[in-house]
Amino acid sequence: MEEFGCEWNDAPHSMGTTIMAVQYEGGVILGADSRTTTGAYVANRASDKITELTDNVYICRSGSAADSQIVSDYSRYFLNQHTIQLGRDATVKTAANIVRELSYGNKSFLECGLIVAGWDKYENGSVYSIPLGGTILRLPFSTGGSGSSYLYGFLDQAWKDGMNKEEAEALVVKAVSLAMARDGSSGGVVRTVIIDSSGVTRNFYPGDKLPLYYEEIPYRPTVEPMSA
Amino acid sequence: MAEAAIALPPKGGFNFDLCKRNAMLEKNGIALPRFRKTGTTIVGLVFKDGVILGADTRATEGEIVCDKNCEKIHYMAPNIYCCGAGTAADTENVTDMVRSQLELHRYATNRESRVVTALTMLKTHLFGYRGQVSAALVLGGVDVTGPHLHTVYPHGSTDTLPFATMGSGSLAAMSVFESRYKEDMDKEEGMEIVSAAICAGIFNDLGSGSNVDLCILTKGKTEYLRNYQKPNPRSYIRSKGYDFARGHTAILSTRITPLKDQVTIIEGDAMEE
Amino acid sequence: MSSIGTGYDLSVTTFSPDGRVFQIEYATKAIDNSGTVVGIKCKDGVVMGVEKLIASKMLLEGSNRRIHSVDRHAGMAIAGLAADGRQIVARARAEAANYLTFYGEQIPTEELCNRVAYYVHLCTLYWWLRPYGSAAILAGYDRDGPQLYMIEPSGVAYRYFGAAVGKGRQAAKTEIEKLKLDQMTCREGVIAVAKIIYSVHDEAKDKAFELEMSWICDESNREHQRVPADLLAEAKAIAKAAQEEDMDAD
Repeated sequence: MEEFGCEWNDAPHSMGTTIMAVQYEGGVILGADSRTTTGAYVANRASDKITELTDNVYICRSGSAADSQIVSDYSRYFLNQHTIQLGRDATVKTAANIVRELSYGNKSFLECGLIVAGWDKYENGSVYSIPLGGTILRLPFSTGGSGSSYLYGFLDQAWKDGMNKEEAEALVVKAVSLAMARDGSSGGVVRTVIIDSSGVTRNFYPGDKLPLYYEEIPYRPTVEPMSA
Repeated sequence: MAEAAIALPPKGGFNFDLCKRNAMLEKNGIALPRFRKTGTTIVGLVFKDGVILGADTRATEGEIVCDKNCEKIHYMAPNIYCCGAGTAADTENVTDMVRSQLELHRYATNRESRVVTALTMLKTHLFGYRGQVSAALVLGGVDVTGPHLHTVYPHGSTDTLPFATMGSGSLAAMSVFESRYKEDMDKEEGMEIVSAAICAGIFNDLGSGSNVDLCILTKGKTEYLRNYQKPNPRSYIRSKGYDFARGHTAILSTRITPLKDQVTIIEGDAMEE
Repeated sequence: MSSIGTGYDLSVTTFSPDGRVFQIEYATKAIDNSGTVVGIKCKDGVVMGVEKLIASKMLLEGSNRRIHSVDRHAGMAIAGLAADGRQIVARARAEAANYLTFYGEQIPTEELCNRVAYYVHLCTLYWWLRPYGSAAILAGYDRDGPQLYMIEPSGVAYRYFGAAVGKGRQAAKTEIEKLKLDQMTCREGVIAVAKIIYSVHDEAKDKAFELEMSWICDESNREHQRVPADLLAEAKAIAKAAQEEDMDAD
C-alpha cells in the first residue's frame, strides 16, 4: 500500500475531536463535532460521536474510533443485562462505572477518552469523564478530544451554576463551534443530545449555520452543485 | 533460570515474534515478499430503492499489476455484498468467514440476514486482530429494516453513511460523490454516479485501474453487473495473431542433463509393459 | 418421616415419587431446631433479633455471632447451622463487593437476595453437595428504602414485613402479626423483637440463651449495626419484666 501513499487509509481511524457535556438544573447536554480522520484525510465529515448506552445515558467518544466503539458496545451490552436483571433503569453512575471498568481494565490496549452523561431520578443530570488511563471523575461540565485544549479557559469563564436548558445548550454549541474553528481535527457539524426527566432530544446544527467568531468568514457556496 | 523462563510455552493470545524477525531481516537489507494488495477504488451509495456498490478490478503487487480483471465485490448473503480494499487475502478471507457464519445463521433462524449482523461480525473480527488483518471494506445491503451502507476499517471501527469510498482511489471517488450526490436518486442516476466515481479512481489513482464492477441491491433483488464498464479496452490486437517463426529466439547455450533411472529393481522381475 | 428406608432421601439430586427432595426437607429440620431468629420491617428500618442458644456457661458473651454485616447497607441473621451460615454470609459479602466494583454503586437488597438465593440453590443441584442447613434473614436499606428477605435452603427467597425461623417461629409469627409495623419505629421495634425472643424462649426445655440484635435504620445512618448497648439493655430489661408479668398472670 505504501507504493500508493495510503497513509491516511492505513493509519488507525481516529477522532481528533471536540466533545463535551454540561450538567444543568434538571438534566444534561452532550455536544460533539462530527469530524473523523484517518491521518490527514476526513474519513467521515458527519459522524455521530454521541452514542446511546441506555434510554437515559449517552456517551461522547474521542480518540481511536475502533476502541471507543468497542468500549461503547460492551458497555451497552452490560447495561442492557443490568437493567433487565434489576428491572429498572441503570443510573448514570453505574453506566459510567462500567465504562471505567472497561477502560481501566484494558488500558494498555485502548486509546480513547470518553464522557458519560445522562439523567436518573436520584441525581438528575450528571456528567462523568473517563479519560485515557481509565480514571473516573464526576464534574459539572467536561470536555474531551483535541479540541478541548481550546475550551478549558473559556468554560471556566462561561459556565455558570444553575443554568437552564436553553442557556446550557447555547453554551455547548458555542463552545464546540469555537473549538472547531481553532482545532484542525475538529469540524463539520455540531450535534447535541439533551437528556432530562422527559426523555432525550437530539439537535443538529449544520456547519454553515453555526455562530461565527473572530476572523471567521460566513459560509458562501463557491461552486454551484453540478446537477443544479 | 533465564532459560526456563524463555522455554515456557505461550499461554495464548497473539505472538508477534515473527514480526520482530521480519523487521530485523528488513533492516538488514533483505527484501520481504510482497503481499498482493488491491490498491483500489471501492465505493457505495444509497439511492431511493436500495444500495449500489462499485469497484475497480485492478490487483497490484507493489508496482506490478498482477490481475487486470479481479473481483472486489464479495458476496456475503443474497441481500448483502461487500467491497474489499487492502490485502487481497485478508479481504477475501474475512468476507468469506463472515459469509459462512451468516449462512449458518440463516439456516438457524430461517430469516434473511441483516446488514448490522454482518457489520458486527466483521468489526469484532477485525478489532480482535488490532489492525493486523488489513481489510478496509464497504458493506452494503438491503434487509427488513431497509437499505444500509457502512464502511469498516482495518482496526475495527465502522461508519454509517449515505455514500462511502475506500481504498487508494477513495479521494478521487469521494470528489465525485461530494459534488454530485443527492438524496433519493433513482437507480440509473445512482449507477451513473457510482461508475463515474470508480472511473475517477481508475484514471487518477495509480493503484486502481481496468474495469468497473457494479452491484445493485434493492428489496428482494440483487443485480451483480460484472464489468459494467470497460473504460480500458485493449486498443490493438494484431489481426494475424502472434505467431513466431522457429529460431526467432536466439539460443545462447545448451545443456542437456541425462536423467537417471529412478527405480532399481533389487528382487523379482520387472513388470511387463 | 414416612419414607425412611425408601432410599429417596439419600441424594439431593433424587426426587421421591411424589416429587419431593428429602434432603432439602432435612435441611429445613436443622433450621427448625435452632434458636429463634426474628426480623421485622418498621417504618424507618429493619430490626433483627436472634435467640442464640448457649451450649456452655463457659462461653464468652458475644462469641459465635449469628448476625453478620454483609455490606454497610446490609446484614444477615442466621438460623440453623452457624458454620453453614458463615459460608452464605461470605458469598453475600463477595457478591456485594463485586457489584460495587463493577457498577460503582451499593448492591440493591433485592439483587443481593437474588444472588445469594441463586448460590444457595446451586447446592441442591449436584450430588456431591449437600444443601445448606441454614436460613438467612437479610436486612438491607437502599434507594428503595428498608427491606427484609429470608433465603431458605431450597434456594427460594421471599420478601417479608416480618419473618421468623427456628424453634419458636410459630409463636413468634403470631406475635409479629399483632404488631403495627407500619407505625412502629425501629427503636420500638427493638423492644418488640426482644419481647418476642424472650417470650418464645422455653426456659424449661432450652439451654440458656443470649439475645443478639442488630438494626439498619435512619437512626443507624442507614448502616447495618448492632443495636447500641444501652438500648439493648433496656430492651432486655423490658422483655424480662414482661415475661415475669406474663408468668405472674399465668
